[in-house]
Amino acid sequence: MEVTICIGSSCHLKGSREVIAILQRLIALNRLENRIELKGSFCMGECMNNGVCVCIDGERFSVTPLGTEEFFKTEIMKRLGK
Amino acid sequence: MKIHIDAAYKSINKNNEELCGDKVQILRTENSTIAVLADGLGSGVKANILSTLTSTIIATMLQGGSSVAEAVETIAATLPVCSVRKLAYSTFTVAQVFDDGRVDLVEFDNPECIFIRGGEVVDLSDSTELKECGGKNVKEIHFTMMSGDVLALVSDGVIYAGIGQALNFGWNWDNVSAWLAKTTQKESSAPRLAVSLIEAVNDLYMGKPGDDSTCLVLKATPRCQVNMLAGPPVDKADDGRMVHDFMTSPGKKLICGGTSANIVARVLNRKIETTLNYSDPTLPPTGRIQGIDLVTEGVLTLSRTVEILRDYLNKETDSFYFRRLDEDNGAAKIAKLILENCTSLRIFAGRAINPAHQNPGLPADLSIKMQLLDQLASLVEALGKPVEKTYY
Repeated sequence: MEVTICIGSSCHLKGSREVIAILQRLIALNRLENRIELKGSFCMGECMNNGVCVCIDGERFSVTPLGTEEFFKTEIMKRLGK
Repeated sequence: MKIHIDAAYKSINKNNEELCGDKVQILRTENSTIAVLADGLGSGVKANILSTLTSTIIATMLQGGSSVAEAVETIAATLPVCSVRKLAYSTFTVAQVFDDGRVDLVEFDNPECIFIRGGEVVDLSDSTELKECGGKNVKEIHFTMMSGDVLALVSDGVIYAGIGQALNFGWNWDNVSAWLAKTTQKESSAPRLAVSLIEAVNDLYMGKPGDDSTCLVLKATPRCQVNMLAGPPVDKADDGRMVHDFMTSPGKKLICGGTSANIVARVLNRKIETTLNYSDPTLPPTGRIQGIDLVTEGVLTLSRTVEILRDYLNKETDSFYFRRLDEDNGAAKIAKLILENCTSLRIFAGRAINPAHQNPGLPADLSIKMQLLDQLASLVEALGKPVEKTYY
């Protein structure tokens, strides 16, 4: 599974770095390194949303640093069938 | 081949003095670079006034097309006389380096210039003539610089560094030139050379310089243009034209801005690779596109670059400054490219306004790309590098 996080100016200010750090930690905690690939991308054009743009296999979500753990559980884990 | 002169200097004041008695002026004319180093008699205010007058008069007159002889006569007639020593006196060195590498250098009582080629000190005594000029004995030296050569002018504070303290008779010319020749192999750019020499001098004086010390470094480099693409064009239909102009312009290629990078990648049909490596937590990471030297995020990175370059121009350069310049983040990389590997800058600026940046919830930081580019352009011009801007 490919998870792309926007690191454009706007998302950077909304906390891309924190979102990436949290996702990296959760992936390591659940030993999913082999199944999830984290990637960065410049502006994906979703700057108007409140959170950082995160894209899972083509589907886009808006994620705030506070909501990252919830997002990981509901979206990423669900897709992996866990 | 035409060369570019990378000019930089660094001064330290005599211990407990607020003003420096050495003064450097660097001027660029259409086909040459004029650099003047003047060392005023004494220290403090008096020396500062003498050297400022001397260097400014020489530089302005030469720029206006006068000969050195005329400038020296003018100085002899103008300088105020010191009430203690009954002398009007400031030593100086003037170097005019032309585009084709020709150097006309005149020295009056300053330490001899240091000319380094390929890590070796070159003896210039064969090309030196003694002359009388405006009632003063001056040395005229004519030679040619090639790309990679370094010409250093130092004030006597450098030659006498450490006298009576770390060294009995000071550092002396032979040792200074040998040290500098060795260091040219390690530190490549003019600002780094000037700063490392002056730091060595300060060390020899044990942090308490006995005299104002200045080092002016002129380094001949091949011309290298840097092309910077920043911001998407107002009209989407211009994307192709902008990228075409950018890619066909010779020199290094630099893209500032995520959207701009996406446009270039789309037009060229190449992939962008983005790293998730936050070497500096306050700046977004850089990316990579095949054939482009550097791809960074836009406004946040640029505002940091402007800050770094402004610090340089405010003369806050020391080895800490260069450590900051060597950091592995987008802003430092742009600043380094502009400062050390660029002789002219061409900016391809798109004037589109990012709708996302109109969000009032965002800091003002984001709406100022055009202002930032203007600031950057004026800073680069202040560094003596011509800037050309094209808007889309």
